[in-house]
Amino acid sequence: MTNEAFETPNLLLALPEIWLLAMACVVLVVDLFSNDRDHGPAFWLTQVTLLGGIIITVSTQWGVDATTFSGTYVADSLGALLKIGILVLAFLGFAYSRDYMRDRGILKGEYYMLGLFAVLGMMVTVSAGNLLSLYLGVELMSLSLYALVAIDRDSSRASEAAMKYFVLGALASGMLLYGMSMLYGVTGTLDLGEITAAAAELDDRRFLFLFGLVFMMVGVAFKFGAVPFHMWVPDVYHGAPTPVTLMIATASKVAAVGLFLRLIGEGLLPLLESWQHMVVLLAVLSLLIGNTVALVQTNIKRMLAYSTFNHVGFILMGFVAGTPEGYAASVFYALTYAFTVAATFGVVLLLARKGFEADHITDLKGLNDRSPLFAFVVLILMISLTGIPGTVGFYAKWMVLKSVVEAGFVWLAVLAVIGAVVGAFYYLRLVRYCYFDKAEGEGPQPTGSGGFQAVLAANGLLVLVAGIFPGTLVAVCLAAFL
Amino acid sequence: MLENYLPILLFIIVGLGVGVVLLAAGFILGPRKPSEEKLSPYECGFEAFEDSRMRFDVRYYLVAILFIIFDLEIAFLFPWAIVLDEIGLFGFASMGVFLAILLIGFLYEWKKGALEWE
Amino acid sequence: MIEQLIFYVFALVLLFSATMVITVRNPVHAALFLVLAFFNSAVLWVMAGAEFLGIVLVLVYVGAVMVLFLFVVMMLDLNLSQLREGFMKHFYIGVPFAVVMAVQMLLVVGSGLFAPETLPEARMPIPEDVGNTALLGSVLYTVYVYPFELAAVILLVAIIAAIMLTLRRREGTRHQDPGKQVRVRKADRLRVVNIPSARRQSEQE
Repeated sequence: MTNEAFETPNLLLALPEIWLLAMACVVLVVDLFSNDRDHGPAFWLTQVTLLGGIIITVSTQWGVDATTFSGTYVADSLGALLKIGILVLAFLGFAYSRDYMRDRGILKGEYYMLGLFAVLGMMVTVSAGNLLSLYLGVELMSLSLYALVAIDRDSSRASEAAMKYFVLGALASGMLLYGMSMLYGVTGTLDLGEITAAAAELDDRRFLFLFGLVFMMVGVAFKFGAVPFHMWVPDVYHGAPTPVTLMIATASKVAAVGLFLRLIGEGLLPLLESWQHMVVLLAVLSLLIGNTVALVQTNIKRMLAYSTFNHVGFILMGFVAGTPEGYAASVFYALTYAFTVAATFGVVLLLARKGFEADHITDLKGLNDRSPLFAFVVLILMISLTGIPGTVGFYAKWMVLKSVVEAGFVWLAVLAVIGAVVGAFYYLRLVRYCYFDKAEGEGPQPTGSGGFQAVLAANGLLVLVAGIFPGTLVAVCLAAFL
Repeated sequence: MLENYLPILLFIIVGLGVGVVLLAAGFILGPRKPSEEKLSPYECGFEAFEDSRMRFDVRYYLVAILFIIFDLEIAFLFPWAIVLDEIGLFGFASMGVFLAILLIGFLYEWKKGALEWE
Repeated sequence: MIEQLIFYVFALVLLFSATMVITVRNPVHAALFLVLAFFNSAVLWVMAGAEFLGIVLVLVYVGAVMVLFLFVVMMLDLNLSQLREGFMKHFYIGVPFAVVMAVQMLLVVGSGLFAPETLPEARMPIPEDVGNTALLGSVLYTVYVYPFELAAVILLVAIIAAIMLTLRRREGTRHQDPGKQVRVRKADRLRVVNIPSARRQSEQE
């Protein structure tokens, strides 16, 4: 009865995840036994873990194409690229958040532990080769994030956000799981590779398969925050502590791209014509809602939440074509967008101080007088998010639009361009505040340690550099699919 | 395989039977003469001060959640115990890692004082 | 024949208790009916050959999750009349939606696309002589070791999150620390004070 098919897994292939799990446990134990009120050991160990994870991922997974753990784990370039993105974004998130969390009395060891476990869940998701590991990765990520949103447990707004996130997220997980169970019922296998093969030669059981596909699409759209499955996004972005919002807005979006690609983009590629129109619908609705509602927001976090829909629309548009170029465009878009937004939240965190959030758009008024460097960073970020030529945001939009036009959806491309023009209004409004308006009263000063400011400035300038020399990153994204 | 469950089925039937018969016997045979005084709530001779249902302390909730987690862990141990001699050293080691991860959780509980009843 | 009879008895009790869960007024009674529903579905699962799942359902859901449910119900001190307020107001909006959804479901399920014969043959038929638990065990700890370890990590996250969100230190509570009690020495607790004798006082009087 012993399973003959079983061979001892090659643990080295899964080294990034094993490293992260081991180090997360180390962080947990070290923090338990340290008396540092600022949780310094946990912070530094976390950053070392993330940097080490990047090195390990690059050296062991880039250019590899192999599976281990009986096919439940896939080590390939796509997974490696997304994982590096996730690790870098998590690194930035932790680097920006220390002062903010300390000022609000929520700098706990759990912040680092749960953050690391969320990152682990994202990494598992993007390199899953099996429905089981995919689902468990998503759950690990989501559970950690639900708890992180509620980390400030005396804040009623954060509790409300966590509750909404949890209930809707659990519903989405249920949808995802139900769709997966349909797939399993039809194909009799959990292995994504085998499911792809089965999807290619569907005949009479096609209907059941599509039934599962619809449910999975709903679940994935929830995790993306795509309209009409977006209800949780504004409240969660607004209610959660800003560092947690940063993580949800950046790293978890990259993980959602991985989830879509593994499950639908690549796993169900033979059914492209069935899911293409669903994705188009999601993209169109996201573009419409995102741009119109973001116009009237006065809270930066809420504005970024609504404008996220706009960008999610673009990311989804890259999937529409179902070609490696389109997927590469989506990955490029997601990575650069997340990197830019991370810096934007970084600026919000920089201006925040004890008892003051600095998340109102007028808080940026006159920033140029107080800190020319960070006013310049805001300028770079906003024109990049707008997609003005010469910025990295422009290249990302251009790649996506190219793939959509090639797939024959010219009207969708036109709609997206109109959306981007509308988006220019609310992004450039912030630039106007920074440079041309005077602060009301004192205006929030940039606070934070030197390391924080240095990393944030580097993040902003890297966005500029990536806009001037986008070639390398484009080539890397394309190489991940070829 | 289902034959193995016959004793349980019999047990359910007998249990139900005993329960129903005892309740029914009391219901049928017992004298019942309700009056208003008999049915009114009684608390040491006073009228009842408050609802007899009290709110539970939130601390029970934590205990219950921690119990569920370790209950689930035990659920994973059953199949393992059955097939231990077939899955070899690897299967043994995989359960070792599983328990080690949860042991860290236990350490966390202990150190945080979640197991103490203040 | 007998098996079918048993199936129908338990299925009927299951349907009855599931209906009661959503209709009874007292939430504690609803939770207890849920226990009954779980128990009956466990029996059905065992009859369908999913022995391990049936046992886990009893062990985890009936044994632990329902206890938690009861705690939560008793903790929240639900006021039912408040919960039921506005029921009739939304009732008229809800009914059309419910009808549409029910018709949709009937159309999908009744289309015959979900009939057992449309499903593929089981790829791993259950052998007669081996139990379901042993079959699960033979792959769970080897072939599916990666998801298995992930399950442990999720449980660990659950521990951390539960403690982080609900554990509060209370001020001024008294509790025993046996370690301290044992470590205590005579010198910590007992001070021998030399009180001058009272005789002189009495002599003065």
